[in-house]
This record gives sequence, C-alpha cells and structure tokens, in this order.
Amino acid sequence: MKVRPPGPGHYDEMLLAGNGIREHYRDYGQWLESCDEAWLAQRRQEADLLFHRVGITFTVYGDEQGAERLIPFDALPRIIPAQEWQVLERGLAQRVQALNHFLHDIYHEQHILREGVIPSEQVFTNTQYQLAMQGLDLPHDIYTHIAGIDVIRNNDGRFHVLEDNLRCPSGVSYMLQNRIMMMRLFPELFARYPVAPVAHYPSLLLDTLRHATPVDNPCVVVLTPGRYNSAYYEHAFLAQQMGVELVEGVDLLVKNEHVYMRTTAGLQQVDVIYRRIDDDFLDPLAFRADSSLGVPGLLSVYRKGNVVLANAMGTGIADDKSIYPYVPDMVRFYLSEEPVLENVHTWQCRRPDDLSYVLDNLHELVVKETHGAGGYGMLIGPKATQAEIEEFRARLKAAPHEYIAQPTLSLSSCPTFVEEGVAPRHIDLRPFVLCGRETRIVPGGLTRVALRDGSLVVNSSQGGGTKDTWVLEEVTPC
Amino acid sequence: MKLSISHDTTYAYEGEVSRSTQYIRLTPHSSERQTVFQWTLDLPVDASQLHDAYGNIVHVMTIDHPHDAIAIRARGVVEILPDADEGSDGINPLFFLRETPLTRADESIRDYAALHMQGAARRGLEHLMADLLLRMPYTPGSTHVYETAAESFAKGAGVCQDHTHVFIACCRSQGIPARYVSGYLHTDDDEHLASHAWAEAWVDDHWHTFDVTNGLLVPSHHLKLAIGLDYMEACPVRGVRWGGDNEHLSAQAAVSLAEYPLFTDQ
Repeated sequence: MKVRPPGPGHYDEMLLAGNGIREHYRDYGQWLESCDEAWLAQRRQEADLLFHRVGITFTVYGDEQGAERLIPFDALPRIIPAQEWQVLERGLAQRVQALNHFLHDIYHEQHILREGVIPSEQVFTNTQYQLAMQGLDLPHDIYTHIAGIDVIRNNDGRFHVLEDNLRCPSGVSYMLQNRIMMMRLFPELFARYPVAPVAHYPSLLLDTLRHATPVDNPCVVVLTPGRYNSAYYEHAFLAQQMGVELVEGVDLLVKNEHVYMRTTAGLQQVDVIYRRIDDDFLDPLAFRADSSLGVPGLLSVYRKGNVVLANAMGTGIADDKSIYPYVPDMVRFYLSEEPVLENVHTWQCRRPDDLSYVLDNLHELVVKETHGAGGYGMLIGPKATQAEIEEFRARLKAAPHEYIAQPTLSLSSCPTFVEEGVAPRHIDLRPFVLCGRETRIVPGGLTRVALRDGSLVVNSSQGGGTKDTWVLEEVTPC
Repeated sequence: MKLSISHDTTYAYEGEVSRSTQYIRLTPHSSERQTVFQWTLDLPVDASQLHDAYGNIVHVMTIDHPHDAIAIRARGVVEILPDADEGSDGINPLFFLRETPLTRADESIRDYAALHMQGAARRGLEHLMADLLLRMPYTPGSTHVYETAAESFAKGAGVCQDHTHVFIACCRSQGIPARYVSGYLHTDDDEHLASHAWAEAWVDDHWHTFDVTNGLLVPSHHLKLAIGLDYMEACPVRGVRWGGDNEHLSAQAAVSLAEYPLFTDQ
C-alpha cells in the first residue's frame, strides 16, 4: 500500500520531509508495501468485529442517543525508538516525582507558596484544593499512584507535556487491548520488531496498590461509578485483570472507623480503594449531597488513615490547567534539576498582560477552560468561525481567571488507515506512570489519533481513535 | 458567662430505614473564646469521633440494622469569653473566598454588596449587615433548608441561615474571606430558636463576628459548634439513609444561664 506524505512543515513519525522513511519504520514500510490491500482491509474488519464482541466501548457525554461508541482502532502502529523512549521515561518520572512533592508540600508546609514560586491565591481559591487533605500524612507520601501524562511532539520533533492527569486517568485498557489485537492480526510483525511488552501493566498496578498501604495482605477493590460511566469497561477490565473486586458505592459501608465491603459471607474490611470516581462524588456527607455514587462516611475513614485511596483526594490541584504552567518550576524547586520535558507555552488569562495578548490573537491560539477536560469547552482559533471567536472573547472578558491559552501546535502526524488509503493524521501519547516502591512506566502508553483530516483534537469523546504504541527495545549484540 | 445547653433532635421515618450513616457536628471544642466544662452526646449506637478539615468535632455514626427513628441528645455547660482573640487555626483565610452552590453571589447580590461596601471594610460590612436585615426581615418558615443565597435574597425574607449565606456571598464577592458558623445563642426572649447561625469575616487579619439576624458584632452570647464554607459543611447533622420514605424532624434546643450547681441534668 502507498503511504501519503505529510504536508510541508509537519513532523511525521514515519516519513522524512524528503519523502524518505525514518530508520525505525523502514522494516514496517517494506512490509506494508508488500501487503495486499484487500487482505489488509479484511484484517482491519476483523479487528472491528473483535472489539465489538469483546465489548470495548466508550460512552460519549452529550450525545443525544446516549450511545456507546466503539473507539476506532487504527491498525498502523506508532513506533518509538529506544533512545527517544529513554528520554521520555526519564522526563515523565521526574515530572510525576515533582508533582508528588508539590502535593505533599501544599498540604503540609507550603514552602512553594511561601517562597512565592506560585501565588497562594491560585492554590487556596481553587476548588481542587481539598482542605480535608491539609496536614494529612499518607503512606510513603504518595498522592498520585497512577498518573497519565499527555505528551505531544511538536513540528521541531521535540516532546512537550500538554497535560497532566492525576485524578482518574483512563485509557490504559485500550493500550492493553490494542496490543493484543495487533499481535493477533499481524503476528509476523512482532517477529521483525523487538517491541517492549505492556501486558504486565495490571500486575504492576496491583503491586502499586498493595504497596500503597502498610497493611499486610491488603484487600484492594476498584470503585466504579457504574455502568453508565464512559470508562466502565476499563474499570471492569482492570478489576478482572488484577483479580480484585469491582464495587460500586452501595457495596461499601463505613462503620467503626473502617470501610467494609458487603459480601455474601458478611462484611469484609477494605484497605485500598482504586477509585475511579472524582473527589466531589466520593462521600455524599462531605461533598456533593446529591450524589449516590460514593460511600457515606468515606472521608472520615480516610482522615483516620484506615483506608488508602488511589489516587489520593485533592490531586486535582496539581493537574489543574491554571497550575500547569508552574510544573517546570516545581521540578527546579523540589528536585533542583532542569526539567527533561518541556511544557507548552501558556498564557494565563488571569494576568492582565496575558489576557490582552490572548484577546488580540484569538484567531491563532487555543483557549481552554482551566477546569475543562476531555476536549470539551475549548476554542481552536485557526479552525473557529468568527462567531465562535466572539463568543469566547465575551467569556474571557467575563471570567478571565477561568481560561488559559496556548499556541496552536502542529501535533506530529502518523500514517493512519483512512477511507482513501493511508494518510497522515495527528497524534498524541498518554503514558501511564505508576508510583509505588519505585516509579514504573510500562513502555509506551495510549496513542490517540485525530481521525478527521487536519483535526488536532484527539479525545475519544471528540471522534478520536487509538493506535498501538511500540517502544522498541534496544537490541544488544551477543 | 456560663451557658447550659440542652438540645434534642429526633428524626422519625414513615418507613423502615435499612441503614444510615450520619456526620454529627454537635460537640463544641474549647478555644480561647469558649471553655467547654461538660458535654455529653447521646446517640442510639456507638459513633467514632474525629476532627474534620476545619477542626470541628465530628461524630460518625452508622446504623446498619433496620430502624424507624434516630434520637440525638446533647447536653453541656460552656463558658463564653467574648473578648478573647481566637488566634489562627492554620487555615489560610484565602480559602474562605470560595463560592459554594449555597453561597454563590448572583448579579443582584454582587451589585448590592458593591453598593453597600463603600469605605473601610469593617465599617462597610457593619453597614451592609444592618441594611441586609431591613432588606430580608427575619421571617420563620419563609425559606427551606437548601435555599441558596440568591433565592432568599430575591424573596427578601429568611432566617439566620439565609442571612448568613447572603452576607457571606456579599463578602466573598467583594474579595473578603467569610465563613459560616453554626452554634447556639442565648437570648432573654423565647422567640428565636436557640440553634443559631452567623457569619465571620476576615478583616484586618482577624475573624470578626457578624450576626446579621440579631445585629450583633460581639459574640457575647454565642456558643460555637462548627465552621465551614456554608451550612452544608457546618450543619449539626448530615446523613444518608436507605429507605424510610418521608422524614419528620423534631428539634428542641434550650440555652439558659448556668446556675450553681453547674450541672444537674444527669
């Protein structure tokens, strides 16, 4: 099959500007060229069918039909050479370590605020700052047991962090399923390429969760908001892979300073909750009273130190878009190191100078709500209509502190199967960082791809798809 | 001044409740401005006790067998020292600039606050407090317990909880940290409920009392039970139950001057 070249000025993961092919894709390119188109189409159909049968779906919020949608899977892998991954890995571990230090600090001595690195009011007036965490000591001082860091490659070829996800990052089940699918569809490719395995993620996750408590032989559960949540499939999948119970709030009970699971054999004490419910919904007696998703009294047990939540409460303050601009400073402040991974330049609309620049350049910037997620509530200047720009101008003026702006990055592209053949589509990468005894990152992560030509929005809720991500192992000569 | 408190709360349910969990904030803690001499809280089952994020004493109680009523009884004697400075509680006052659903200032509250908050902050707030009571006369039964500041302000009537929410909304809209206080008030007449709520605002590096309903600036007759961003965070009882249908609440609170012998009700 023929691969269509990217436009000028773009960075493509596979193709060089002069239409050559990057070293690490050479074997793949040869293989692809040798493939029969009809055979490939048949393989891709088979993949769709299998995903449907396994039931890997994703509920899209705001969809009139409330339909569950299949996240499109693209059968052309995103390949990352060993040396590039080593840099990424180092940068991710460093970043998450600094974010953990930050969380411990702002819930204890608040050195970073006292020294003026971050303005106090940006932390204390932020609804993501949980007063209930102040002064609370957590086992091993770990707040973000599981982090998903969104990374993009700009047209200069360098990786930048676009967003940190420290609350309930999702998507890891797609990383695992995509690999299983690729091995099933194209086993011959895995003989050609030394692809680093990812299948041990669930056992690393379980190990991380078990290490999160001082209790010996702890009882670990996965707490899901239920089957109507967009990521319910993933909650069920991870619980099953780890061999632990999947529970909803109603299955848990707070009594005598502990959390218990109601089982057919009576109450069983729960020590670690891998919660996939946001802070606001965890305890209806402490937070949102209108929610029945959580466990009444959970906060009281947590404050007593008798249950571990992964991730901790109050981690949202560290991944909030208004705090994001300070993460490189956190790396310098807590670790006395230079950040390995760069941020994307960010204008904070709360600052008058930044705001006026943003208002003057709306047509070429991306504007995001500081509390927004999932690609909802953002403006992509170059793609927006004049009416949309004016609407955002009004919103920005009314509540500037609720917005940040970034340059419109040209995310790198990767060849992708589309209607007319194989063409470049923009991608990002979400590696998953586990913090336990040590920081561990399964090589790769979830590569998301914007399937619409020219689109930069990779979120699955906005029509994005996924790819298998291959990190190549360094082959050492015997 | 020593106050003797007697407070009975009973929740009766029309149906059977299979299980319930409550957070109960009905135990004061001693501070520079109040000394708790004696306090007992009688609950239907054992409860665990802890301090919440604000330092309030909270009892957590789960009843996991069928029940159709919950009775809570608080008794105690507390001395109020109104002139004492409470000092810092370790919470950055900026935290109390946050809006909550019950204390969100809508446009009319924002305009109202801006109009009445001219001049020095403390004087401005005193003026605002006096005007607010005229604007929203104390009217028992005019509002329900989940009424927002904007709703009761628009009605132009309310009870202490509404006065406090609107006052807090005004303060925060003007960049002044403010918080909700739940407690007891001693009065000579019997018209007002002994259970009470008032506001505190952070001005000149201190928390100042603003009891809108009574037009009081000095908490000389005020026993503090709990603080929070709003009613939901400081309220005496917050619970979740399974089953039970309709709920009937009866509450009786009496605050009197403690005479010698200090405490006889055992």
